[in-house]
Amino acid sequence: MLYALMGLGLSLITGVLNIPNFAHGALFAIGAYLLASVANLIGNFWLALVVAPLGAALLGLAIEYLGIRRLYAAGHDYQLLFTFGLALILSEAIILVWGPVGYSHLPPPVLRGGVDLGFTFYPKYRLFVMAAAGLLVLATWLFLEKTRYGAIMRAGIENKEMVSLLGIDIHRVFTGAFALGAYLAGIAGALTAPIRGLSPGMGVDMLGIAFVVVALGGLGNLLGAIAAGLLIGVTQAIVAAHWTEASSVVIYAVMAAVLLVRPQGLFGIR
Amino acid sequence: MNRALIAILAAIVLLPFLVRPAIASEIWIFAIFGLGLNLLLGYTGLLSFGQSTFFGSAAYVAGWLMKIHGLNALLALIVGAGVGALSAAVVGYLCVQRSGLYFIMLTFALNQLFYFVAYQWTSVTGGEDGMPGIPRPAFLGIDFGNPVAYYVFVSVLFLVALLVMRRIVESPLGKILQAIRENEVRAEAVGYDTARFKLAAFVIGGAFSGLAGVLYAMLFGIVPLEAIGFVTSGNVVFATLIGGSGSLYGPVIGSFVFIWLSESVSTLWARWPLLLGVAFVIVVLFFRGGVVEAWARFSAWRERKWRSSRQTG
Repeated sequence: MLYALMGLGLSLITGVLNIPNFAHGALFAIGAYLLASVANLIGNFWLALVVAPLGAALLGLAIEYLGIRRLYAAGHDYQLLFTFGLALILSEAIILVWGPVGYSHLPPPVLRGGVDLGFTFYPKYRLFVMAAAGLLVLATWLFLEKTRYGAIMRAGIENKEMVSLLGIDIHRVFTGAFALGAYLAGIAGALTAPIRGLSPGMGVDMLGIAFVVVALGGLGNLLGAIAAGLLIGVTQAIVAAHWTEASSVVIYAVMAAVLLVRPQGLFGIR
Repeated sequence: MNRALIAILAAIVLLPFLVRPAIASEIWIFAIFGLGLNLLLGYTGLLSFGQSTFFGSAAYVAGWLMKIHGLNALLALIVGAGVGALSAAVVGYLCVQRSGLYFIMLTFALNQLFYFVAYQWTSVTGGEDGMPGIPRPAFLGIDFGNPVAYYVFVSVLFLVALLVMRRIVESPLGKILQAIRENEVRAEAVGYDTARFKLAAFVIGGAFSGLAGVLYAMLFGIVPLEAIGFVTSGNVVFATLIGGSGSLYGPVIGSFVFIWLSESVSTLWARWPLLLGVAFVIVVLFFRGGVVEAWARFSAWRERKWRSSRQTG
């Protein structure tokens, strides 16, 4: 479900803005680190869970407004270089601020321990993450499908010129989409922190996964991102249970296998 | 013989006097790597963000064969180019069917696939520690343990690679690739199987990357995990773009600037990738078009100034 969340955010950014966002993983890592710091500082996990993704969204806002906005006409190569440069800066900044060694962050006391589900024993926090991620995906979907702003964003994916001809400031749509995507990446990071711990490399690992989700699900195809996120997550969980070493490779192997059979991705038409 | 080639020959001769031979060698090795990418990026219009897949795979395979089975230098280079071409054929086959952003993301995702295999397969690759102990086998009785001898070897291979690449881009194949860059639909309408030509570009680019990978492993005696990581892929894209992807010599200039830049900042500060990231951002925001274009703009400006001063004076 977390993969779906990451993929959803990236799908939105790449779909609406038509840029390769290599900084998406860094935003995810920033969300995680902000959560840990804020939670330690104020001692309240829930408040931190609200604040951390907002921080990532603000950062996303700044990145779009100050940098990417000037690059829409520049071609993918320069956009890629720019976001890749940002990813390097952010991950090095994380090392500078929080140190190169990874550490773990405990979930809040209420969510520690596990629940007996009858057939298996499952950690409470993971159940919470599943529910929270599910709700967020649902909320994002409702926002995009049922509200006016969501309709404008989807229209932006379909045809940018048309949207601006209708008197809508497409640049504000772009900024909004980037901030929303950054928010989703940030909250995915924040939710992940107590499960996987924090390390400077977490962003890049997640970036690859997010790309796989988008490549399989289709750019701007939100249901596709959800489906692909679930497919990848479940496959990885099954493989990890039997052959731990292969669990990071299997994501990409699944992608390669799907692309062999369906070069256009799971639901892609292009 | 043209001016660019003479300038490169002069640079090859002068470089060892300016920097350490290891860095001088690294510049030409990286230039070979860049030439391979530029066939895709500059000539075919394919932005591959997974070039280190071919670079790293070749370095690992050839390195392993040299280390364990005592393969000689020439064979190692042939094996490396072959591994590079083969891995590029696999990756290319999966990627050329998609275009634009999908293409970029797929090259990156497959790069990650190879990266994680190298990361987990510690018994062969050494995982995070890298694969140390790569020898520099002698060739034709020349001992490449001497850094200067190895530099000459690398320079000669670079010149051969450059001439081969020039021949390729000026050949009918090169023209077709450029036609695909300009207008793929039209190239297809004229009757070319564009997917096959793009795959060909991939395979040739992969062979160049593989060659560079083996030379790199022999230079440093180790295949670090980063050799197959995405940062290496990003670096070669950066080097090619700052050099100017539109010209044959762009990646050569770019690799010169990039290696010099990274070598000088990496000694300053352990967190130098931060500075590198800042450099990427600055170049993209203010110096798009790269060194070659900046130079062209500068000479145009100088010429204008010269003309106007002649008119007034």
